[in-house]
Amino acid sequence: MTDAPQVFDRRMLESLVCPETHTRLEYDAEKQELVSKAANLAFPIRDGIPVMLRDEARVLD
Amino acid sequence: MSRSLGSGAHCIGALALYKKGQAKETTSAMTENSGKTTHFGFSEIQESEKAGKVQGVFNSVANKYDVMNDAMSMGIHRIWKDAMMDWLAPRPGQKLLDVAGGTGDISFRFLKRAGRGHATVLDLTEPMLTEGRKRAEAASMADSLDWVVGDAMALPFEDNTFDVYTISFGIRNVTVPQQALNEAYRVLRPGGRLMVLEFNQIPNEMMQKVYDLYSFNIIPRMGQLIAGDKDSYQYLVESIRQFPDQETFLGMVKKAGFENAKYRNLSMGIACLHSGWKI
Repeated sequence: MTDAPQVFDRRMLESLVCPETHTRLEYDAEKQELVSKAANLAFPIRDGIPVMLRDEARVLD
Repeated sequence: MSRSLGSGAHCIGALALYKKGQAKETTSAMTENSGKTTHFGFSEIQESEKAGKVQGVFNSVANKYDVMNDAMSMGIHRIWKDAMMDWLAPRPGQKLLDVAGGTGDISFRFLKRAGRGHATVLDLTEPMLTEGRKRAEAASMADSLDWVVGDAMALPFEDNTFDVYTISFGIRNVTVPQQALNEAYRVLRPGGRLMVLEFNQIPNEMMQKVYDLYSFNIIPRMGQLIAGDKDSYQYLVESIRQFPDQETFLGMVKKAGFENAKYRNLSMGIACLHSGWKI
């Protein structure tokens, strides 16, 4: 594909919450993840698109 | 309910013809797991399996989805989507959540009509969103669009966030449609509007027979020719036939809490719009 790589738009953090707990998320720019401390989950951001699915999230240790 | 049971029985012949492979798969799944079941087309599957199977269908058809929609409905899906916008009457500054928004069709229309506003396109399937983002409209409206992979039954948004919630040809693919409607109610602001566009049951029996002939014989073959994927389009056809009729679905909209709930048939009821307000 010739598309430029897409980055996550930080403004989205204002409207996104954890789908499990409805609590706020933290953006981890390095890992490209949205972290829900309440649910102990990290949701991946792929190609600039947050993937807010329980099954796709990484369980935090 | 009796209506949808009747239509199921009516199509058992088609099921036997097309679904031999999947029926076997279903049987083994049923013996391993005793949880709640749901429809996947005409197959009965575990609720926990549905999302993955639906993702499979849309991952497979994503890059041909728009072409196939045009071919299957002979372009009529565009008229239906415009009819949806006519009834919705988007206003400047409104915030839309477009669930199962896939390739952005509804969001682009909404933003064009609203003049200015914001649309969040949410879909269960990542490739559908990346296809949508590639479209020319997406680039020109980039500042007004967000793309999110998410589940209609567990939305990643706070209560009372959106002015408008749309789901277009998506709710029949949700594992528990009632739960999606409940979530729609939760994330809408008081005064917010729900609008559902979906294939429904044709009230006229003669028309239904003609439509069945077309949909069960022609659409899967078109899927094979255009998208190289007959099974996914076979699923789409079956899932349409399994979906509740207009009145039953209206009851579900009301049960979620929506007021002033109504529906309008499109093209003699092949498709239907349901509308409701969060008061």
